[in-house]
Amino acid sequence: MQVEWYVSLIQALVVINLVMVTFAYLTLAERKIMGRMQLRYGPNRAGPYGLLQPIADLLKLLNKESFQPTAAIDWLYVLGPFLAAFTALTTFSVIPFGPGWEIGGVYVPGQVADIDIALILIFAIGSIGIYGFIIGGWSSDSKYALLGSMRTCAQLVSYEVSLALSVLGVVIMAKSLSLTAIVEAQSDTVWYAGPQFVGLVVFSLAGTAETARAPFDLPEAEQELVAGYHTEYGGMRFGLYSMSEYINLITLSGLSVTLFLGGWHGPGWEGATWAGPLWFIAKLLILLFLFIWMRTTLPRLRYDQLMRFGWKILLPVAILNAIVTAIVVVAV
Amino acid sequence: MSNVLVWIIWFLAAGGCLATGVAVVSVTNPFYSALALIGNLASLAVLYLLLAAEFLAAAQVLVYAGAVMVMFLFVVAYLGGRADAPWAGGPPLLRAAAVVAAAALLVEVVVVVGLAWGDNLQEPAEVSDSFGSPAEIGELFVTSHLLAFEITSIVLLVAAIGGVVLGTTPEKEEAE
Repeated sequence: MQVEWYVSLIQALVVINLVMVTFAYLTLAERKIMGRMQLRYGPNRAGPYGLLQPIADLLKLLNKESFQPTAAIDWLYVLGPFLAAFTALTTFSVIPFGPGWEIGGVYVPGQVADIDIALILIFAIGSIGIYGFIIGGWSSDSKYALLGSMRTCAQLVSYEVSLALSVLGVVIMAKSLSLTAIVEAQSDTVWYAGPQFVGLVVFSLAGTAETARAPFDLPEAEQELVAGYHTEYGGMRFGLYSMSEYINLITLSGLSVTLFLGGWHGPGWEGATWAGPLWFIAKLLILLFLFIWMRTTLPRLRYDQLMRFGWKILLPVAILNAIVTAIVVVAV
Repeated sequence: MSNVLVWIIWFLAAGGCLATGVAVVSVTNPFYSALALIGNLASLAVLYLLLAAEFLAAAQVLVYAGAVMVMFLFVVAYLGGRADAPWAGGPPLLRAAAVVAAAALLVEVVVVVGLAWGDNLQEPAEVSDSFGSPAEIGELFVTSHLLAFEITSIVLLVAAIGGVVLGTTPEKEEAE
């Protein structure tokens, strides 16, 4: 169906702002939940239950001086966080959150952009996002930042392979690279979390490493690297890096909902068509909670353990899963 | 898309291609060279998009601008100042080969311009709806281009094994 340009424009604006609000309150939820799990209160001073904390944080970051090391390379130093935030925000545009609706004679699609090769596009944009981290770390002209960006780069490149291979099983089963087609294919049969359980596990683990979350948060291991690639960053430039990391996590959770958990479909019972986004958001929030839970529970891996796990365990499992899926799909 | 918009995008992408291409071989800092090459690959991807080859554009960005160039940047950033060498030009054989390749490209350009001048390029190619889709490309891989596809896979396998061999230190030298 033809989508009017102003519908896409409004939708892009709404989705991007919703993602940003989710990011802001994800930081609060993370601190609150981690506090509870560690027998602390967490932030509770700004507003009732600390609900204004993200806004206070934002104001603080915006008001800070934009300093930079004298030896830093100006334009690359500024480009780094911009690139990271831009690629993180772009990716969410292809993730479908509803079946599409007819509102007052105007067709409103269930995602900002419906592309045949959405899945490849997400990986392509994600691979560009890595440059934000490398450029930032390199142009800071600092030992810790450089080592941190090297680690980020090595880790992201290693786990990107497993991440891409783990979704191959889903692509083979749905016979499409379009995310809407993958969601539709799951409503016809079962959610792919069942038949592609191995794929889901590999995807979640590789995704955790890809977003540098605990227990794979080697790139910013405080004891070793101060803060990793953004050591020399402060103010809103640091804020952009931090934002891109959280938004990558949100996008990743959205992607796993789409690929493995039936997207906007309810479990057996659908409800009205407008309930689609609600199902999507509910599943998204559950996944985000699991990520936070994992962060409080598991200690950080050692660097050699991380690399060994990625290349010698995760990658073979992902390849095996793709091959077995291909054989089963062709044979049945 | 209107024609004017296509022309504007084409000019920007083609200009970006040329500018970054010149930058790759002319800047002295290898880090900037690598960045320029990424820009070059990205503007090529835009040109692919204009040719209705979305899959090719995304794959280009994913494989070359993403995976391959990350390795370049990684090595350059790791070696740091030691890699800062001005353009040396390479061995004579390489220079000769570069001149031959450039001459071949020039001949091609002249031929195309000549054909267009003589009104011999008036019939546009027929592009079907499924042109450039993953399904169609996949089908071509396992039908009419099967041999090339298999040879590529063997070359990749050789490269992977070579990488493992080069990366493994001999048993006796291991300090453990």
